[in-house]
Amino acid sequence: MPYVIGIDLGTTNSALAYTDAAAVQEPFEPPQVEMFAIPQLANPGEIRAEPLLPSFLYVPGPADFPAGATALPWNDTPAHVVGKLAQKRGAENIGRLVSSAKSWLSYSGVDRTSAILPAAAPEGVGKISPVTASRAYLQHLRDAWQSTMPDAPFDQQHVLVTVPASFDAVARELTLHAAQEAGYRNVVLLEEPQAAFYSWIQRNPHWREQVSVGDLILIVDIGGGTTDFTLIAVTEEAGELRLERLAVGEHILLGGDNMDLALAHTVHQQLVEKGTKLDVLQFNALWQQCRIAKEELLAPDNDAKEHPVTVLGRGTGLVGGTIKSKLTRKDLERVLLDGFFPAASSEDMPQARRRVGLTEIGLPYAADAAVTRHLAKFLRQQGGGLAAPTHVLFNGGVLRAGLVRDRIISVLNGWLAAEGKAALKVLEGEDLMHAVARGAAYYGLARAGKGVRIRGGVPRTYYVGVETAMPAVPGLPAPLKALTVAPFGMEEGTDLKFPNQEFGLIVGEPAEFRFFSSVTRRDDAPGALLEEVGEDLEELSPMEVHLPGENGQLVAVTLETVVTETGMLQLWCVARDGRRWKLEFNVRERVAA
Amino acid sequence: MSRISLAFKSFFNILFKDHLPENVARAYGYVKEAAGRTAPAKAAAPEIRSSDGALQILGILQRDARMLDFLMEDLKPYSDEQVGAAFREVNEQGRATLLRYVTVRPVIDAVDNTRISVPSRDPNLVKLIGNVPADGNVSQGILRHKGWRAERIELPKPPSGQDLQVLAPAEVEVE
Repeated sequence: MPYVIGIDLGTTNSALAYTDAAAVQEPFEPPQVEMFAIPQLANPGEIRAEPLLPSFLYVPGPADFPAGATALPWNDTPAHVVGKLAQKRGAENIGRLVSSAKSWLSYSGVDRTSAILPAAAPEGVGKISPVTASRAYLQHLRDAWQSTMPDAPFDQQHVLVTVPASFDAVARELTLHAAQEAGYRNVVLLEEPQAAFYSWIQRNPHWREQVSVGDLILIVDIGGGTTDFTLIAVTEEAGELRLERLAVGEHILLGGDNMDLALAHTVHQQLVEKGTKLDVLQFNALWQQCRIAKEELLAPDNDAKEHPVTVLGRGTGLVGGTIKSKLTRKDLERVLLDGFFPAASSEDMPQARRRVGLTEIGLPYAADAAVTRHLAKFLRQQGGGLAAPTHVLFNGGVLRAGLVRDRIISVLNGWLAAEGKAALKVLEGEDLMHAVARGAAYYGLARAGKGVRIRGGVPRTYYVGVETAMPAVPGLPAPLKALTVAPFGMEEGTDLKFPNQEFGLIVGEPAEFRFFSSVTRRDDAPGALLEEVGEDLEELSPMEVHLPGENGQLVAVTLETVVTETGMLQLWCVARDGRRWKLEFNVRERVAA
Repeated sequence: MSRISLAFKSFFNILFKDHLPENVARAYGYVKEAAGRTAPAKAAAPEIRSSDGALQILGILQRDARMLDFLMEDLKPYSDEQVGAAFREVNEQGRATLLRYVTVRPVIDAVDNTRISVPSRDPNLVKLIGNVPADGNVSQGILRHKGWRAERIELPKPPSGQDLQVLAPAEVEVE
């Protein structure tokens, strides 16, 4: 295998990095990691190699593009348009645009394998599932690699795909499934904050001098669509530093795109007050302009008080219709710092989602936009008061802004000081935009024994619902207990058996198990039976098994948990005679929470 | 191939493979070529006119930077401030687009208004202005304009059947 390929399958942008595994001889030598320029349609009929592949998919209709204008070097008639052109055209016709497929992939409120996207599609548009959309991005990357590097067939390389640490077992399984459908072989999933940390190691060959045993490293990863927290402990084994991933946060749908949108609404509000109206395309242009203005104002040496925001006139009256406005530094700081990074106390918890009786099917965006409150919750979830990190590593485009980084650091240091702890150090030298793909490529080398590897295991505790045998009470469902089938931190390449808990399954019909997880319950031992399913357990998609046969016979089975070498959680039913059946996630139905 | 080796090759091929080597058969006219094989009927290549590239770059500058809208608009009714705000956008996007498709470099890469030695007498490259001697023989002068040269131009191949004279399609919003 000459290359290790790291793929960052992002909410709004995807990237591919690669490294030559054979060229690395010395394990402590930083490997050379290259970013792959991804050929894609930039305009109708125009292929251009770009550093990022926008994670957008457009379902073309008969009136969208001239014949042949969507041909790719590897496919003359692709069914969907992916990348830059999809993003561009989609802004003009939202009903055919699939965006944020990754967020949908992790949302258990919908059937993620059914054709539900584009969410805004009018009747007659061929919809696709979140899994199919993810598959399209992965397949584009694979085909792009194949056509650019014909001497290094993709299937023969070692491929890593990153997922948010907060992805549960179902979302991971679906991502893997999408990769396999896209023709990926030898694919391994890796958590994004870990990838960012690997990237830091790769860029800092003397990293061992910056951390020591007992340190606790907090990784704050704010991408376009999601916010992800991870804690890594520095421990020691046989005189060697060891890295151990202790905890990951809950899935928070909140990212840089939300912040840019909030800025656009702020500027829009000022325009509306002056009587100026924007149409959909102009608002999109304003959104982009606000992003640019934000980046300009937050650039290190910029001390301007404001940045112009210009939306060109629609139609041929370009100058006459031009709408001028500005993003002031005051507004920028107010929206970012007060709205997204308020100086919360470590006791502040994010406001809970308000449940509305009939909600429209849409993504479960975080109800509370305050990243700092989500962070407080994460650090309080670790047991024994506030977890006290000694170092912080930032990742994601939002954190390029010194303003935001400084606010997070000052908030964290405030919390630490209140607990009598020392201020934390910032791990510098990161590549915020490409770290994930870079780190994934490094991890590929680490797996091959050519670099340091973070130990982690399963970042949640998993449970299977067990109905208690008791006399039926009309109108009351049988109480449910939860059997711990995968303890927190269960390591890759291990398995567990539960011989004391037998289930009777009927041959010839599907049997379903309710499935739960928890990021907060750390101490439930394998096989422990929780008397009730409390608030700290989150119900996932049920798991299903179908024992073949016809005679309706009852087979007694016990459960077995396997965490594969690649970190995938599997549950198996084992009969007394040793026959085994794997449980599969049933994402089509979800028991109402 | 020499005649001797051809003869041997033919001999052994007939002996062991029961046919003449193909290159020998062809060389000595033992093959009846199908008419279509040597001259496959090619689809008539679309005619490329010299204006095509110009139309294309106009279309691209309009698509990415609204350049035509800007040039075609009557600016008299608008204040300089309004024009400036719009032009800033057109300029930024237009330059990015231009440089993507065309690499533009100065003909003489030196500082404006400094004394330079004249590198060429070719009037295509250097235009002499001011007190030019009768024979045009000058070795030095003040650089008043560096000139521009397109070093590389890479336009995407337009999809077949596209009418390049349509520089920008009309946009109709469906309500």
